Amino acid sequence: MRTAEDIKRLIKILTDKTSAQMDERVLKDVLFTLEESKKKSALTQPNIWRTIMKSPITKLAAAAVIIAGVVLSFTIWDKTTPTAYAFEQTIQASHSVQYLHIKSFMVSISDEPIECWVEFDPSGQIKNMRINKPAWMDPSDGESVIVWKDGKMEFWIKKKNFLFIQKDQEIAAQVLSMVEQFDPKHAVANILQAQDEGDTEIEIDEPENKAEPVIITATFPVENDLHVQRSKLFVDQATKLLNKLETYQLKDGEYIPFITIEFYDYNIPIDSEVFTLDNIPSDAMRVDETTQEIGLLQGDLTDNEIAAEVVRQFFEALIARDYAKAGRMFGGVPGERVQKKYGHIRFIRIVSIGKPVLNPATNELKVPYVVEVEENGIITEWKTKYNYIPVREVHGQPGRWATTGGPLGI
Amino acid sequence: MLEDKLLVLKCRRGSRDAMCRVYKKYKDYLLTLAKGLLNDQAAAEDVVHDVFVSFARSARQFQLTGSLRGYLATCARNRVRDKIRERTRRAQALESANPAIVDSDNPEHCIIEAEELQRLRQAISQIPYEQREAVILHLKGDMKFREIAKLQGVSVSTIHGRYRYGLDKLRSMLNSELEQ
Repeated sequence: MRTAEDIKRLIKILTDKTSAQMDERVLKDVLFTLEESKKKSALTQPNIWRTIMKSPITKLAAAAVIIAGVVLSFTIWDKTTPTAYAFEQTIQASHSVQYLHIKSFMVSISDEPIECWVEFDPSGQIKNMRINKPAWMDPSDGESVIVWKDGKMEFWIKKKNFLFIQKDQEIAAQVLSMVEQFDPKHAVANILQAQDEGDTEIEIDEPENKAEPVIITATFPVENDLHVQRSKLFVDQATKLLNKLETYQLKDGEYIPFITIEFYDYNIPIDSEVFTLDNIPSDAMRVDETTQEIGLLQGDLTDNEIAAEVVRQFFEALIARDYAKAGRMFGGVPGERVQKKYGHIRFIRIVSIGKPVLNPATNELKVPYVVEVEENGIITEWKTKYNYIPVREVHGQPGRWATTGGPLGI
Repeated sequence: MLEDKLLVLKCRRGSRDAMCRVYKKYKDYLLTLAKGLLNDQAAAEDVVHDVFVSFARSARQFQLTGSLRGYLATCARNRVRDKIRERTRRAQALESANPAIVDSDNPEHCIIEAEELQRLRQAISQIPYEQREAVILHLKGDMKFREIAKLQGVSVSTIHGRYRYGLDKLRSMLNSELEQ
């Protein structure tokens, strides 16, 4: 007699494998479809800056995006340009790069660069990374640092004395993917990949003086709606490595410098301390999503039900003056921080919690609520100034939900 | 998985290499799911083909909110449903001769299990579709009951019930064969 466990075991070992003929047939159609979609998207490619500004993870990844944006759109028109220099030489040379230091300048905004240090593993994948974000990128945050190491992302905002640590794969992949774009071998590989797609003009200037760099100038049609209309790559003639990349925007018939990226210290080992955040003050607010369970487990509740439950338990904790619990509902913020912000307020009762509404831009559920509070001896209802709390699934903790604060920022 | 997120981002940028890697990684998984639900090799291959072509078509705008594996499994399940609707208008296709592959090093064991699996396939194809879906998506698709409930538009307890009834029926069918 077979038991239910026998049946489960049999179903689990049930495995079908595709044949070589099927693989060939499917891949042929899949790759053809991908190429067709590329052609369509080239016609409708959005302005990358608009996309960046709409992204919910802009803050975390903005530095990478700004560096990455300039190299996303190389295309070449004349692939038969007679020259001794070949793009493959730079790609070949870049494959042996293990360490790299990059400075990216927004020429029209500031002389202060975004700096990035990258260590690649032997397969060419990013192993460790650090980005120093200058204050001009986000005046409300001021200077900040992002370090990616051992699969963990640390985000330090000095002005706010705030350290945020998380391991979310979605965000990590976004940041790493964007950083990959300013890996110089990708900048040149993108040119090669785009050779058959674009209608962009290219010139290669290869000076006789070998001490001077080869300059590759790519000029893009205005109607492509790209954020840059011209790019220049400066390639060292001896090493074939990319030393600098300049981009320009066309304004009133003139090419105005936009972003410049400089590549330094190829293969000079980077001190491991660069990939370590030290000197974090002991009184810094530390939110570590990798070492604590945040928010509530969804279980069998629907998304709307769990979002409302998070808000209910957050306010119940404040009513009970259980600030540690309120902090757990509030994205893992330390209880002392919640107390500092709300300790002077007496939360009396929850009047109502409304039906959550999805915010598609951030993928958060906005939960409307009304609570009665006493502040400075005056009893009032919070319902207009702070009329909703955003709730979402916790990054890196599938199935757990918490509020991100929104108007109730701590 | 981080690797999947990176693959999706590369596919979004039009990388052929990334697209091939996604296909190679999930082709057998999807074929097994589709065949488990349809018990029809040709139709299952069509499902896998359509899922990947559709993924390639939308790759440039694709936004991954959950796991890629889960996303592809859901697409496959939806296309299986389309196939089943088509079947009601057509005679059922003949079962392909391609046998199931069994992960076993022992040849004798392999033959016995292959026969057993063939009987299992027949039994699976005879249980009601909603129960079949609950069993296959949970055991082969590694989907949670909550995810299956969302797909079928019913409560989690209903899915629990369908899963349990499905397994009971399979057990009863296979055991009655043994007794005969």
